[in-house]
Amino acid sequence: MSKAGAAREPSSSRAVPLYIAATTLVAVAVVTVSWVLHIGPPVEWAAVVTMLILGLLSSVFRERDVGSNITFSFLSIIIISSAVLIGPVGSALVGALSMGLERGKRSAEARIFNASMVALQGAVGGLVYAALGADLDSVTGAGDLLLRVGLPLMVADVVQMLINALLLAGIVRLSSGTPPRRFLVQMITNSGVAYIGYGIIGFLFVILWGPADVGWFSAVLILAPLYVARWALVQYGEEQRAHERTLSALVTAVETKDPSAAGHSGRIAALAEWMAEPLSMGTQDVQALVYAAMLHDVGKVGVPTRLLRRPRTWTPADVEALTHHSALGVVLVREIEFLNGSLAGIRHHHERWDGLGYPDGLAGDEIPLISRVIAVADAFDALTTDRAERPAFAPQQALRQIEQRRGRQFDPHVVGALATVLERHDWPITSADEDELDRMRGYLDHDDPIAWEQVWATTPPLRPAVSGPGPTPHPVADEPSPPHPAAGNADDVPVAEQVRAP
Amino acid sequence: MRSALRDLPSRLRLHRLLPVLSIAVAAGAVAAAVASPQMPLQDWGILLVFAVVIAVGEVNRIVLPGGRETAPMSLAAGYALAMTWEVGETHRVEFTAGVVVAVTTVGMLAGAVPALLRRSPVRADDLAARFLSVAVAAILFRHVVVWDGQPLLTLQESWSSTRWVTAISMVLVSGIALFVQAFCVALATASRDHRPFWRSLVDEVRQGAGLGAALAASGTLIALAERPMGVVALPVFLIPLVLTQFAIRRYAGIRETYGQTIRALSRLTEIGGYTRRDHPARVAALSVAMGRDLGMSDRDTLDLEYAALLHDIGQVALREPIPGGATMMAAPADQDRIARDGAGIVRQTGVLDNVAVILESQSKPYRQVRELGEDLPLASRIIKVANAYDDLVGEARARRARKHASAIERIHLGLGYEYDPRVVEALIRVLDRRAAVVGAG
Repeated sequence: MSKAGAAREPSSSRAVPLYIAATTLVAVAVVTVSWVLHIGPPVEWAAVVTMLILGLLSSVFRERDVGSNITFSFLSIIIISSAVLIGPVGSALVGALSMGLERGKRSAEARIFNASMVALQGAVGGLVYAALGADLDSVTGAGDLLLRVGLPLMVADVVQMLINALLLAGIVRLSSGTPPRRFLVQMITNSGVAYIGYGIIGFLFVILWGPADVGWFSAVLILAPLYVARWALVQYGEEQRAHERTLSALVTAVETKDPSAAGHSGRIAALAEWMAEPLSMGTQDVQALVYAAMLHDVGKVGVPTRLLRRPRTWTPADVEALTHHSALGVVLVREIEFLNGSLAGIRHHHERWDGLGYPDGLAGDEIPLISRVIAVADAFDALTTDRAERPAFAPQQALRQIEQRRGRQFDPHVVGALATVLERHDWPITSADEDELDRMRGYLDHDDPIAWEQVWATTPPLRPAVSGPGPTPHPVADEPSPPHPAAGNADDVPVAEQVRAP
Repeated sequence: MRSALRDLPSRLRLHRLLPVLSIAVAAGAVAAAVASPQMPLQDWGILLVFAVVIAVGEVNRIVLPGGRETAPMSLAAGYALAMTWEVGETHRVEFTAGVVVAVTTVGMLAGAVPALLRRSPVRADDLAARFLSVAVAAILFRHVVVWDGQPLLTLQESWSSTRWVTAISMVLVSGIALFVQAFCVALATASRDHRPFWRSLVDEVRQGAGLGAALAASGTLIALAERPMGVVALPVFLIPLVLTQFAIRRYAGIRETYGQTIRALSRLTEIGGYTRRDHPARVAALSVAMGRDLGMSDRDTLDLEYAALLHDIGQVALREPIPGGATMMAAPADQDRIARDGAGIVRQTGVLDNVAVILESQSKPYRQVRELGEDLPLASRIIKVANAYDDLVGEARARRARKHASAIERIHLGLGYEYDPRVVEALIRVLDRRAAVVGAG
């Protein structure tokens, strides 16, 4: 039962074994009473054996993680169908044996508990159906099937879900002290819809087996589409993981080019995700934020390599070439559909609250929230990184630097979020050894507000050019194309004032 | 002789012929349906429900991973209709295969209307393949004599105590119909993409096997459940298939996204100013056409496409771009280093190892196969030729014909030494076809 069934290894306190023993006793008692009183249809051993084989097979399918928060429990379908087709005793037997003989390593305690729990689900489900539902041989027609078989079956299904949730909440309470109410709510919201699905599939199974007279072969027919669905979901999960890895290759490729920024994207993605919480951003926005943070500097690949590695001097043209990276990043990833929400975040991550940033000179609330968060995280990470010309700021000092620029460069609200996050999480500084520092000498970290302000202050002619409509690199035909950044050669540009890199 | 046979599907333009054949079958079926004896009112109701569900299924088409379109719900409903006999415990339908095919025609055409209104293209050959497949199922089940002078339809009566035999016979009928569909689609792709037919069929069967199993099971489920449940069984027993369809759609969606990300990666070099505009995309399109021509499987073609898109990514690590981005002109040692760096970047993903292997060998000359017995992947040899051609022709639109001729000439100079002759032949075939299309248009 995937998420639902498997109790983890319980702790060794005495309450847990007692709880397990009690569960087993109750299960045995319910089965015995049903057996003695002949409740439900007469037990057909051929059917019991078929169901048991299916139950054991289902444990084979359980092993691999389906991923993407979707879990399929073939055993739940078999237990609810058995409850109707072979009654409380039969389905308890199928459940207990399927769980008890399950492959794989599990402690005897967990095995016994799981077997008792599923047996109890089967037996009680069978009793509920016997009390409410109709004998399968007596029903004809769609209406009858839906009302006198389908409805009682769904009630039994819900009861089974509740038994599962309650028993698990109990054992989790005893072994790890999790409050049972919260656990219950979580279980029911997580697996409630899935259980409705199991009920519906179980209903189809029952009709085919009984009224349609197909018998054991109906298992093949019903489970084939589900197995294919599960297969596709496994493929989906694998492809999704592959995709995540490939996406990070985009970042890696840029870091190959700009080794001094290694790890920066990953760090600010984590920081930005933390900051989303005090800003109470929605799930979708957080997704877009994390991707935008990961990819905010991919446009650096369009910046000439010599600017990223130890330039001796900085000309206005060089600085301008560097500022193109935020717009270039958008050009690079805009055809990836699922990143649509992140594009604006990438484009505007160097805008300033006072409107003096680039590329579009947006101010205040005009700047997308995602960009404002990235701007703060970006600067904070740059400050807490060792550089050749200065050691890293400690987190609190770096925060003070950022707070000094609140309302000018940064959104005050977002700066507040950063302060909150730093109270909750530790932030290690990124240190570099001698060799690395030596290699970084002369490197301009464009995210470092202090270093950037120095460059910025000494290149006044640049501002109008940079704050105008953003640059577009040559691959885009439908927009006016300024000179390609890589083609901009600093040597031909009249140097107004050469700036030594800080 | 061999190549004449190979080109037969393309020469006959089978992908155009399939829809024509379907129209003929549909017309015949409608005529037969009109001529058939009066049906009771109840049968009209049943047929109406099926037509509606088939139409809804056609509207909810899905794109499979790999790009082919299909409509699982429509197909399953079509098979179920083909195999419908007892609806409710007491009623037996009396219509012929002609009626089944006529109803399928109506449903499928109605389902295509919304797409036509939106002016999004309906793939006529895929639709035709689905239609013919349902027609085959109907004729097989209702009219082909299999045992004791009876078709499967009436044999069901004698099997009423062993219904699982009926179920298996239904699964078999759906299986054959699905194979017919795969066969038609393979003919169409062989004809359209100039692929060897056998290769297309193997790919089609392999890719379609999973969904096919779900389809065959669903058609059978519905036909069997109609006895106790009546025609309500149709929507109710499509539920498992809807789940399957949902899962496959997600799978296809992530594959699409993955492709987009690879394309974005391929543009890194372009934006960095290392390669000419759209060079990776052009090399990829050319490589894929050559790979198809040489009979590569779909899976290998996908690796080839990704490798071709990423073949220049090693240049990102270069300090200064190569003039014009043309690796073909670079010194062999530099070419090797770019290839190795690219493979390194791709290998870091941990999931594109096949692509990395192709990239590593992309700069190696073909003579290493002959002289040293080294095993160069076919994909690497293809990319080497496609890249050389694109570098030589360049972007010049003017003088294109002359550039083309001199590029081919230069590649011919390296034949056998630098380039694999078989791959160069494929290049020439692909380019000839392109020229024919341009000339005709």
